[in-house]
Amino acid sequence: MRLVRLVSVLAAGVILGACGSAGGGGTTSGSSYAGKTIKLGAILSITGAGGVYGPQSRDGMKLAVDQINKSGGVNGAQIALSVTDDASDKAQSAQVAQTLIQQEQDLALLGPTLSNSAVAVHPLAETLKVPILAVSTTGIHIVPDCNFPQTTPCRYVFRDSLGEQTAIPDNIQSYASDGHPSTGVLLVAQDDKFSSDGGKIVQDTVGQYNINLLKTIKFNKGEADLSPYVTQAVALKPDVIFITSLGGIPAKIMVAARNQGWHGQFLGGNGFNTATVSKQAGDAGKGARSASAWYLGNSFPSNADFVKAYQAAYGKDPDQFGAQGYTAIKVLADAAKRANLTFTDLAGDRDKLRAAMETVNLPQTPLGPFQFTSNHDVKQTVWVIAMDGVGGFTLVHEIKAS
Amino acid sequence: MGQQILNAIFIGSIYALFAVGYTLVFGVLDILNLAHSAVFMLAAAVTYTLVVNHGQSFWLACALAIVAAALMGVVIEYVCLRPLRRRRAPPIAALISTIGLALIIVAAVEQGRPGTLFSWLWVDGANSVSLPAGTYPNPIWNLGGLTLEGTKLAVIPISIALMLLLGYVMRFTQVGRGLRAVAENPRAARLMGIDVDRMIMLTLIISSALGGLAGILFGVALGDISPYIGRDSVEVRGLAVIVLGGMGSVPGAVLGGYLLGAIEVLAVVLLGSNVRAGVAFAALFLMLVLRPQGLFGAQLRERL
Amino acid sequence: MDFLIQLFSDPVTFWNSHTLLISQIAINGILATSMFLVLYSGQLSLAAPGFMAIGAYTAVLMDLYLRTPLALNIAAGTALAGVVGAVVGLPVLRLRGVFLAIATIGFIEALSLGVILNLPITGEGLGLKNSNADPLGGINLVLISLVVVVFLAWRLIKGRLGYAWTAIRQDELAALSQGIDVARYKLIAFVLSAILAGYAGAAESHLNFFVDPNEYGVTRTVQVLTFAVLGGSGTVLGPVVGALFLTSLPYIFKQAGDYIGVVSGLILILVIIFRPQGILGRGGFAFVRPRWWPRAQVRAPST
Repeated sequence: MRLVRLVSVLAAGVILGACGSAGGGGTTSGSSYAGKTIKLGAILSITGAGGVYGPQSRDGMKLAVDQINKSGGVNGAQIALSVTDDASDKAQSAQVAQTLIQQEQDLALLGPTLSNSAVAVHPLAETLKVPILAVSTTGIHIVPDCNFPQTTPCRYVFRDSLGEQTAIPDNIQSYASDGHPSTGVLLVAQDDKFSSDGGKIVQDTVGQYNINLLKTIKFNKGEADLSPYVTQAVALKPDVIFITSLGGIPAKIMVAARNQGWHGQFLGGNGFNTATVSKQAGDAGKGARSASAWYLGNSFPSNADFVKAYQAAYGKDPDQFGAQGYTAIKVLADAAKRANLTFTDLAGDRDKLRAAMETVNLPQTPLGPFQFTSNHDVKQTVWVIAMDGVGGFTLVHEIKAS
Repeated sequence: MGQQILNAIFIGSIYALFAVGYTLVFGVLDILNLAHSAVFMLAAAVTYTLVVNHGQSFWLACALAIVAAALMGVVIEYVCLRPLRRRRAPPIAALISTIGLALIIVAAVEQGRPGTLFSWLWVDGANSVSLPAGTYPNPIWNLGGLTLEGTKLAVIPISIALMLLLGYVMRFTQVGRGLRAVAENPRAARLMGIDVDRMIMLTLIISSALGGLAGILFGVALGDISPYIGRDSVEVRGLAVIVLGGMGSVPGAVLGGYLLGAIEVLAVVLLGSNVRAGVAFAALFLMLVLRPQGLFGAQLRERL
Repeated sequence: MDFLIQLFSDPVTFWNSHTLLISQIAINGILATSMFLVLYSGQLSLAAPGFMAIGAYTAVLMDLYLRTPLALNIAAGTALAGVVGAVVGLPVLRLRGVFLAIATIGFIEALSLGVILNLPITGEGLGLKNSNADPLGGINLVLISLVVVVFLAWRLIKGRLGYAWTAIRQDELAALSQGIDVARYKLIAFVLSAILAGYAGAAESHLNFFVDPNEYGVTRTVQVLTFAVLGGSGTVLGPVVGALFLTSLPYIFKQAGDYIGVVSGLILILVIIFRPQGILGRGGFAFVRPRWWPRAQVRAPST
């Protein structure tokens, strides 16, 4: 019995040693983390309205963690990812963040899913000096000014989700050069931060492309019937209708507008970018454009690998949120590898990780080549996509990162 | 302007249909059944799942969904209400009990994803979906600048027909008389040999079936089926409607529905879209302060 | 269950790493007490989130524009909530039971959807950023507040107000015929409840970096009502216990994972069926009784 145990221990040691040297990959020569655990905590909305995105982020993250752990971990250390639900409630989100930071003592955090929760959680992480990587928040004032209206940049907050501040202007620019519109109407859900942020960005951008915004029509996101608002919009006969909402609202507006005989162009924000919305809009949404951080058929080889692995693991296509979750783990793993972590000084390690994140430069992610800007925002290719009327998207433009 | 009037009539019909079920339970039981909006949503979700995930025909799916809604009525009575009546619990406990059931129903649908516990019920999670085009007839006519959608138009005669049917049942049938007797004075009703428990069960079945039908029409005509349609869109407005029309009055609920629809659309047209909901609730508040019995409710008697 | 194990095995670490949760429990406790006051006086008022909103927005706006100290901001928010409470409470005095409930729902929805979402100064749909929030330090303030509030409520109940409220709650007409100024006492309860809710709102805004208009709607009011009823509104501590239990529920039942919503609903139904008078029990809701609901006490049969 003791001989068997001795042999197994020796064998394990040999295997671990072999894995450690094989899995390390290219760039680093830093200290080996063999036997250690990198603890990451993700705060995602699995229940509640944010449950439209949270589970996909979780799936993408878990896929990345499995892949990395199976191929030797990060310098030999295994990643332990815990995903906690915040029920789309910002108070619960902040409470969860605190326990992950102070009780679980996670090295870094990911999330939260919703911009509303991020407003509560990111300043907390900044105060407690814990790196946090947002994977789906695209609103304004996430990075670098998480403490808006204070202007001091937040050093510990990063995001890998393409912001509306980049996406919406890129989308408008793309259509302006294609369709030369001159008038537009904006429909915005005034009680939804995401939609309001997007609306503001539209208002600030249209002037640059000589689009006259005839009217901004506000409604509440919980309203059953949006026809009165669509009627008002259609009556003005604009060339473009801007829709910055998410959930079921874009499809409802598009169907209603087409039914009322309007044939112009729909331009939207991140709310357009899921297959569910494209399917719900159906034929009415054909040709509706938005700018996306990711596209199922994008040309990066690492994306093809990612899509295949995701399909094998979960039996369905990934979406933008899965891709961003996956990339986030890759980013954190890369930073951890280069950060010379001690695993004894948590505060010091967190700061080292933060510094290493700033210099991340990954040539191969599903999002394409990935780097952070000096504002901890994402620097990547932007895909302008259009709904194809049958639940998918076609590619219109590829705007490379400048 | 004409289009806005059509919009008002349509949304008023939806509110009315939803409120009729609400007011029935309130009139007979003096209890607000807060699981009503969850049943509303459930019927729409079941219809969608049957059509899209199980390949049934639309009409069969609708029928089954209404049956499911009626069964939920049974559940509400057996699980939420009867045990409390047996224990002589304070009535507000019933409110909480129905809140709990609503929570369960919404959460179950919200967590329905492929490969999970509730995937037989729903697979789209928290998303909003709509029935694919061609599932049901939806002709669209464009006459004189107005857009008329078949599904939205169909809601109007359906609501009115149901109100008339319900009115007939309440006035001229044995069952209806039994329900009215229980609403009036259950002790006397019991003495007359009426099985009060059965009447209450029947009230809940009818009310839930109506709520379910309203949910199906909502989901179909508005192209929006999600776990949240009951809670976000109609729950609170349903309360407003039964107050405006008069609690416990079925014709009141119908007229109240149209009244609220009109108020909302007028607010959009005259004051701007952003104050629509605010105006509706301010009107509700004023109605309660000035004329609490609503348009058709009986003068409020002192409850002794 | 790990949650409870951690609580008992290492209280100090637990305390330090759960300050936000504990603060929220304290705020919810104050809200539950606000609900207790109106329920004890026989009024099913669901207006608490509206007064919270007034307290929160006033406090944060004063901080943003006037840069006044925290104590003054919270006091102003609380006072304004009280004033609005009087203005709203007066016209609804003669409404009973469910009618009052619906009127107060009308109030909170009109306030949040009509007023807050349309006044530019409140940031409309974007809400207000509160960069001077102190999520970690606020715990002492709110815990002490909770203790003070509960103590005050307890004293009130023991005194003349408490007797008047109990009489009104059990039978308003009889109380009136006894010479009790029903309108006055009901209004006092309503205004006190508004003050407490306004205070809770202002204090809560100090814990959060963001004041969100969506937080003050029907969902919130149902939550607060549930604290009070589940905990038992017959005693002062009942609603606080309800708040404690329900706020910690997602943590205690973390094993439920994605199904926490289903589990919460189930627990709610089970608790209320097996203990309809609430966890801490004892009477409470005689006033919201339909004519025919079987009575809890034995009464002499009428002829």
